[in-house]
Amino acid sequence: MSDFLQLTFAGVSQGGVYALIAIGFVAIFTVSGVINLAQGEFAALSGLIAISAAGAGMPLIAAIAVGLALVALVAVVMERLTIAPVRSMSTLTSIILTLGVSTALKAAMLLIWGPNARGLRPFSEGLIEVAGITIRAHELWILAIAALVAAAVYWFYEKTVAGKALKACSEQPTAARLVGISLKRASLLSFVIAGLVGGLAGVLASPVFFSSWESGLTLGLKGFVGATLGGLVSIRGAILGSLVLGVLESLTAGYVDTGLRDAVAFLLLIVVLVVRPQGLFGRQAEARV
Amino acid sequence: MLRTRHGVTVLFALLALLLTACAEDSSGGGGGSESAGGGGADDGPIKIGAVLDITGAGASLGVPERQTLELLTERLNADGGIDGRPVELLVEDNQSAEDAAARAIGQLINQDKVDIVLGASRTGPSLAMRPVAESSQTPMISLAANQAIVDDAEWIFKTAQNDIVVMEDMIALAEERGWKTIGLARDASGFGEGVEETLTQLGEEAGIEVIITESFAPDATDFTAQMVNLRDADADVNVIWGIPPAAALAQRAYSELGPSAPVMQSHGIGNSVFLETAGDSADELIAPLGRLLVVDQLPDDDPQKPIIQDFIDIYSEAYDGDEPSTFAGHAYDAFQLAVQAFTEVGTDKAAVRDYLESVDGYVGITGVFTMTPEDHSGLTNEAVVPVTIKDQDWQLLTGTAAN
Repeated sequence: MSDFLQLTFAGVSQGGVYALIAIGFVAIFTVSGVINLAQGEFAALSGLIAISAAGAGMPLIAAIAVGLALVALVAVVMERLTIAPVRSMSTLTSIILTLGVSTALKAAMLLIWGPNARGLRPFSEGLIEVAGITIRAHELWILAIAALVAAAVYWFYEKTVAGKALKACSEQPTAARLVGISLKRASLLSFVIAGLVGGLAGVLASPVFFSSWESGLTLGLKGFVGATLGGLVSIRGAILGSLVLGVLESLTAGYVDTGLRDAVAFLLLIVVLVVRPQGLFGRQAEARV
Repeated sequence: MLRTRHGVTVLFALLALLLTACAEDSSGGGGGSESAGGGGADDGPIKIGAVLDITGAGASLGVPERQTLELLTERLNADGGIDGRPVELLVEDNQSAEDAAARAIGQLINQDKVDIVLGASRTGPSLAMRPVAESSQTPMISLAANQAIVDDAEWIFKTAQNDIVVMEDMIALAEERGWKTIGLARDASGFGEGVEETLTQLGEEAGIEVIITESFAPDATDFTAQMVNLRDADADVNVIWGIPPAAALAQRAYSELGPSAPVMQSHGIGNSVFLETAGDSADELIAPLGRLLVVDQLPDDDPQKPIIQDFIDIYSEAYDGDEPSTFAGHAYDAFQLAVQAFTEVGTDKAAVRDYLESVDGYVGITGVFTMTPEDHSGLTNEAVVPVTIKDQDWQLLTGTAAN
């Protein structure tokens, strides 16, 4: 039983990181139909920047803030240079464009930080023993912050004018434009959100799962699967999907075979796309943010 | 939401795209069958090709190896090269992938016409390079551990200690301390291949057996599943067999889960990345490692001591005080063996091969090499010493039967 709890908990904290990446995918996709393959790179980049900033003597919180700010800036520049100028954006075009950005970001990170993986120092050191399982103190930070961000994003979309405008863009693009919502600004805002949550995922994951120039690929892939499990248009679905993915991965590795860990994501993805393209938790033809 | 439907086809295309991007292709060698033969121009630079794991899972190995080769080449050329001929070093990054390694060696041999190939850093890529070197009859010196790289090979040599000599030491230690059961967590790539079988075979006589084997990808970051299973198996000792940072993260996960059984690690951990990543969790572990890491604790009459000390001095002077790893030592030995061969017999490939096969008593960083036509590794378990870790530093373990 304690094994089951231990594995489940490891899966939940990994899933919390996936969830933040997944929120980024959903935030952008719902507004403009863009699938942003550089989402994982946002995470890798913020992790590396925060490590360098902390290494230069900055307090941890400042280092994280620098990482997040710079990644948000990168997201803005990316949107202005590669997404905004395209007149008729299709999802396929966006995949090719963002794949290019992702490759460029990876190359830049490799040049700046070199090939070695490294970790940010944990937000708090130490281990906690509960009910026969060992929890790293840092994992509690991951869960707490992921939950907080999820709540904040939810509040933003439901309660603020800007959030409602974004929702309107995704549900009724034409009507949104008619009432004076700028799709251009909405798209830019969605990239800022994606940059911030992706960056947060990066600094949260770094102490436990490490950052390197190529760590964004796996993170991005898993976050994408998590988002797809939730139907790719629902924040709640994306979070749930990511947690399910994290736990399933961990349990599969523990009880079946560790080699199958990464296969879980793809098996799930294929099954969901074939059987329930609207996502595990969505109802047919429902728009949700 | 219409976009969901509409996206399905696209998602599959995307999936295929990403799979291609991250697929770990394990295709063997292939290609590179152009007959190389002997001869070649006897003037102009001598070309040394190197295929190293500079990015990807093996980066903590490949980067110091590249730095070592560059440093040695620079120094050799400053001294006038080999018989007046300068040495040209061509380094290729195999991205820690088998297919890229096979491609890189093919290019070095067929297009760049190198006289010898050094590398790869890890077993998997080295095994992928082997058929290319063999079929083109080009001498190759691998820097990796698994004995399968040189088994029955004609043109392949290697400088890292064979994994089997490390396991002999592990079994000797287990016997001495009365450990009867072993739990194993091994690298899922070439380096960890055959570890369980070899340990079982070596331990048979002493009644030592492997009771559980877990594996981890060389680029894995979460080890909870494997370590939970190791803990439950409750062996007398657990062996973690991998390279940093994975081996260090595994060590950390193991100690966090709180089992009390001691840990032995392989000779794959000999760099500072391991110490930094594993932190306190590495205290007390035992690993058979090369002498480089504990050179200050060696007796003065150790034949390797002066050459190791000299290497550490030139390396740290060139690279801002960084100390070389054991992997840098593998590259040093491969380079010196190649240079020795070129100095003695020129660049005729068959002559170089024959020379390497007859190396007798070359004192290197990794050990004292004596090659034979049957043994292209040249090192015995004399080349490792039992090392433990205290306060994030390597400590020679004295007073044990192993050596």
